[in-house]
Amino acid sequence: MKVIAGIIPKLNKTLRALLATMMALLVLNVTWQVITRFILPHPSSFTEELARFFLIWISLLGSAYAFHTHSHLGFDYLAKKMQSNAAVTTAKLGYVLVILFALGVLVIGGVNLTYITFLLNQESPVLGIPMGYVYLVVPLSGLLFILYGVWGLLEVKDPSNLREHAL
Amino acid sequence: MTSIVLFGVFFILLLINVPIAVSIIVATLATMLLTIDTLPALTTLAQRLAVGVDSFALLAIPFFVLSGYLMGQGGIAVRLIEFAKVLVGKLPGGLAFVNIISCALFGSISGSAVAATSAVGGFMIPAMEKEGYSRPFSTAVTVTAATTGMLIPPSNILIIYSLASGGVSIAALFIAGYLPGLLVTAFLMMGAAFYIKRTGIAADSTIEVGKFWPSLFGAIPCLFLIVLIIGGIIGGLFTPTEAGAIAVLYSLVLALGVYKELSVKDLYPILLKTVGTTAIVMFLIGASASMSWLMSYEEIPQAISNSLLSVSENAIIILLIMNLILLAVGTFMDVTPAVLIFTPIFLPIAEMLNISPLHFGIMMILNLSIGLCTPPVGSVLFVGCSIGKVSISKIMKPIIPMYVAMILALALTIIFPEISEFLPKLLGLI
Repeated sequence: MKVIAGIIPKLNKTLRALLATMMALLVLNVTWQVITRFILPHPSSFTEELARFFLIWISLLGSAYAFHTHSHLGFDYLAKKMQSNAAVTTAKLGYVLVILFALGVLVIGGVNLTYITFLLNQESPVLGIPMGYVYLVVPLSGLLFILYGVWGLLEVKDPSNLREHAL
Repeated sequence: MTSIVLFGVFFILLLINVPIAVSIIVATLATMLLTIDTLPALTTLAQRLAVGVDSFALLAIPFFVLSGYLMGQGGIAVRLIEFAKVLVGKLPGGLAFVNIISCALFGSISGSAVAATSAVGGFMIPAMEKEGYSRPFSTAVTVTAATTGMLIPPSNILIIYSLASGGVSIAALFIAGYLPGLLVTAFLMMGAAFYIKRTGIAADSTIEVGKFWPSLFGAIPCLFLIVLIIGGIIGGLFTPTEAGAIAVLYSLVLALGVYKELSVKDLYPILLKTVGTTAIVMFLIGASASMSWLMSYEEIPQAISNSLLSVSENAIIILLIMNLILLAVGTFMDVTPAVLIFTPIFLPIAEMLNISPLHFGIMMILNLSIGLCTPPVGSVLFVGCSIGKVSISKIMKPIIPMYVAMILALALTIIFPEISEFLPKLLGLI
């Protein structure tokens, strides 16, 4: 508990900085594409691919962070109507399900996906980046989901800790 | 059997407040495990989550989200409101109309209804209260009018529909959205006028309207963005994604350089908010990618269309049933997941009835936008109520004429496909 409590704030800060930087780079990257297309004789070809890879990373890492901040879209109508004990149990069940999803799909499925892609030596057509590096974000975000999920589980001991899911 | 597992697991998880995206993936996984081994199923789902968002067209979404935030906080929304004031501020019920027109104008430079709600509502709800309108009515006006931004281009949800429908042109969808968006705007103004007359609100005694030309000049840099983005996309100068990047750059220059209402350090929280919104939408898109693949593999849309067509072969009745289902879905599901889940199910049926994918998309989004303003789940309603500092139950009475207005606009759009198809045809986009 204490270990996680110490890690979470630092992790959040790092993750936020990383995500904001990637978003800024994404904007610069596509802006550069527009500029090269209109001004320079040869439009840049790497920008489109790079932008797509940034989007994949931002989406998955951002999803893990959005899980932590309770920002994902959901249906909280019933959960809000429940008695406090039932609400805590349901919230715990929800966290367990998300943890299982993250472990199964993102970590196990993601590691296998990354492994296969490295094994097949798949490279991106323009930049020649091994696609395994792009897909590495899947298991990585899975680990974050699990960490945030475990932290959420520890946090929901009493109903006053139940935060609302807000957009 | 497969559809029972798929929808059963999905709804159970949804009801206990598991995030919709995770509910979709777990339901898809449960269904896949009926026929496929565990490891390949897990790997396929992991791959869809990454590859499902690997699209250059989708990049337009974070850009329009970011430019929406920049415009909302960077002084652009305020100038559009001033311009709307000189247009309709002097009419009886002036500020309510100003609110509606401002939302439509904001919608025409940004892509999200939530952004319009906070940008316009944050300014207009207090302003309306000062002029004698009730807070609940002002909030009801804002949340319903903000949804017009989803039809009036640029629009993030139209980009998502383009993806879900398997490639209806984004340019054609954008242009198709104008007339239905303006139709809803006009009907909402009538709804507001009806409520004001009925309840006898004596308002707008002290409203100050600026002079026409200075207000217009103030708004021109913002309005020019419409010409730049939409003109550029229709003229084939740039793709919607590039237009999004240009919109970001343009609003950055206005907010940081010209209006100086934002400083560089304000950008960090704005970038983070953009990441949040983007990740939520993209995660849903990745999740739905595997579900819609599974549904078409299991021929679920065919099964649903067969049972629908066994009820009636009359196109109008089928359309009516689909719209009633969508209205019901919209009350408890946000537009993005609803579009991603129901497009692959309903679009094939619509096409069988000779309804164009373009018209169907506009109709579906207009329909689902009503659900954004209804409880129990309505993101625009929630944001609006928190900005207006009113409870949802308080705004239920003043919002009813606005619902009626939206439903009438929907009915007209369903009956007359020309409303969505006229402009794209005129410009040769379809």
